[in-house]
Parts: sequence; C-alpha cells; structure tokens
Amino acid sequence: MEILKPAIAGTLESSDAQVAVEPAEDGIELYLESSVMNQYGRQIKATVLETLERLGVEKARVTVVDKGALDCTIKARVECAVFRSCDASDANIPWGGVVR
Amino acid sequence: MASLGEIYPYDRRSQGQMDALLLAEGIRRDKNLDYSCGVFDEDGTLIATGSSFKKTLRCLAVSSEHRGEGLMNQVVSHLLERQMQHGNSHVFLYTKAKNARIFADLGFYEIARVEGELVFLENRRDGFGRYLKALAKTRQEGKCAAIVMNANPFTLGHRHLVEQAAAENDWVHLFLLSEEAGPIPFSVRKRLVREGVADLTNVILHDSGPYIISSATFPSYFLRDEDAAILAHARLDLAVFGKIAASLGITARYVGEEKSSHVTALYNETMARELPALGLGFREIPRLALEGETVSASTVRQAIQNGELSSVACMLPESTLRYFESAEAAPVIAAIRAMEEARHY
Repeated sequence: MEILKPAIAGTLESSDAQVAVEPAEDGIELYLESSVMNQYGRQIKATVLETLERLGVEKARVTVVDKGALDCTIKARVECAVFRSCDASDANIPWGGVVR
Repeated sequence: MASLGEIYPYDRRSQGQMDALLLAEGIRRDKNLDYSCGVFDEDGTLIATGSSFKKTLRCLAVSSEHRGEGLMNQVVSHLLERQMQHGNSHVFLYTKAKNARIFADLGFYEIARVEGELVFLENRRDGFGRYLKALAKTRQEGKCAAIVMNANPFTLGHRHLVEQAAAENDWVHLFLLSEEAGPIPFSVRKRLVREGVADLTNVILHDSGPYIISSATFPSYFLRDEDAAILAHARLDLAVFGKIAASLGITARYVGEEKSSHVTALYNETMARELPALGLGFREIPRLALEGETVSASTVRQAIQNGELSSVACMLPESTLRYFESAEAAPVIAAIRAMEEARHY
C-alpha cells in the first residue's frame, strides 16, 4: 500500500496511541514517543513495523505517540491511519486478508 | 460524562465561558483563532478548551479543578486530528514555559523559549534540527549578516539595505518571508528579489520557512493584534532566530528603519533590545529617500492600488518595474486594487 496523504488515527488518551503517517521519499522513518518507552519501546516499534510490512507499506514517515496502548490497539491504529492515508473506503479494506 | 465539541464563533455562551476559563488560567486569548473546541461537563460547564490558528495550536487550558483527568490529551487529540484533515502534518504549539512538560508527553518537541514566558513547540522531533542542518550547508567563512524581508514587492529601498549589508560584511544571508500573506505571491516576490540582487555575489537567498516570521512564530505580524501579543511573538521569533544565527555563524542583523508600520516598528524595537542579549549586532539602516520621498513597499502598493504605478517608478529596480508593467502582473495588480488596506498595519 502506498501512503498518498498525511493521515492520523487514535488519540492521546491513556491506553491509546496516536499514529500519524505521511508520505516519505524512501523507506520507513519511525518516530516513537511512549509513556512506557523504557519497558515496551522495542516491542511497540516491532509491532508498528510488522503491521506496516503486512500492509505492504514500504515508504512512510510514521509518528507514534503511545500512551500505554496494548499491541492490538497499536496494530489497529496503524492499520486505520494507513487506510485513511490512501482513502481506502470500508468496501476495499482487505478484511480477512492482510487485516485479521 | 464530559463531552467534547466545537465552540462556534456565534455561540456567545460558550465563547464567554472560554474567555472566562482562559482568564482564570492566566492565558491571553489570541484575537485570531480559526477553530475552537471545548470539553463540557454534564451541566454544560466548560472545563477544558483549545483552539487553532492555521498550523498552530493555542489558547489551551484546563480548569484547575479538573487537572489530571486527561482533558488536555482529549483536546490536543481532537485539534491534531482536525489539523491532519486539513493536510497539516507539521503542527506548532505555544504554551507557558512551565507547561512545556505536559506537551512533551503529547509528542511535542521544544524549538525555543522566552525564559519564564513562552515555549514554542512542534510535533516533529527533528523538525527544527533538520531545518538548521539544511541551512548550515550554506554556512560561509568570514563576517556574516542576516536580513529578513517580505519584499512586498522588492523596491530600491530593499536593494539599498542589501547593498549596505553586502558592503559591510563578507556574506549576507537574505531570508525572504515564504508565507503567502498578500496579493503578491511568494514565487513572484522571490523572483523579483533574486533578479534585484543578482549582481551582488555575496548574497545568499533563503526561504524563511516556518521558523522565521511565519504565522506560526509571529501571527500578529500578519493579522492585527494588541501590542502585548506582538511583543511576545517578536521575542519568541528572535529566540528562534538566535538559533538560526548560531548555525550560520551570523553576527548581525540588518533592518530598514520603520516609520509607518506599527508592527514592524515594534519588532525593530524588540530587536534593538533582544539581539545584543543573544550576542548579535543590530544595525538599522535609514530609509532611502529618492526625489524627496522615502522609499517603501507600502507606498508602492498604495500607488498600484490607486492605479498610479508610474508615480513610484523611480522607487523600483528595473526588474520589479518590468514585472508590474507586464501582462503577467495583471491578476496581481487586480488583487492589490481589490484590497481594503494596502499598507501594513
């Protein structure tokens, strides 16, 4: 999937994460800020990168402000931001495909 | 359950609550806001608020009785989402110096501060750093000066200022305001400056970008506001400029003396006071007078508005005059004529 325009998903509220994606020239640029950076920073990073890879996103600038979100939340927020950035409507979201 | 919603300009009750909340929390309400929202409790009392103006978030406050409930997070989430919908992924924020930490937790990074007063932040960790790094590539050895100009449009007065700086320094970094804020588009202003200084080989032209006199650092430069706001914005703008100067090895800033524009005059006064404190020189060059009249871009715009370009032809370098006489300038001239006020306030 290609990031066509800036998009955001999630909130800054406790137990959530705010994920913003923007078009980038090459590769994945990931900026992570987390209230639990020391404990879970590495795991959050891995979840974000894994989700992007699964969606086939190769070029993006991704900013994550995490407020202690669970892995499933982070995954969902990343997916949502990516779909919003390429205007994927409800109909063409690959439920059961790369989203499961 | 508290609920978050937009505060409309015509909703006088909520607007009144917003004023009261900002006042109670000691935050000056900006005159220029293009969107406001608030969190209301069950009784419809406003307990948190935030607004935005272009790419900046401002007037953010939480009622002191409701601290620690994560209300600011809600407000900022909402404002950021809206910024993103408008295509702004690079967002700025001002806050009182003591509150900077709250926003650091929300993914905002400090650009500069006016000690004990304001902090200016952005939502990109490497935003300002990257900007400075890109600028530093044009760093030169020797004595370097800076000029920031709007050149709206480029006149012989601007030329005079650049010539003076170019003669007294080894290099001049010329920053042109890149904000679109008037009838003359940035691309035209830039071309006229480039043509107007083409023969001065020690002048380096830069786009000012979001960090010098932009609607983010200095909104009151573009839209009317009270003096206290102008002074606060000017000091903040200079704090940011201090960092830019350091990365380019700039030792002095040159400005044209200002007689007509209130906001520019205040800005100049602030520079005279603040720049020496930052270890930078401040040099105010008297206005160029030609045929008994001082040259100013305001006068030129006024003349264009009155349809009397020929009366100010002597104030313009050949390249600027040629542009305004060309067919290409017709829509720009029409836009200047349609303006209510051609002069800068």
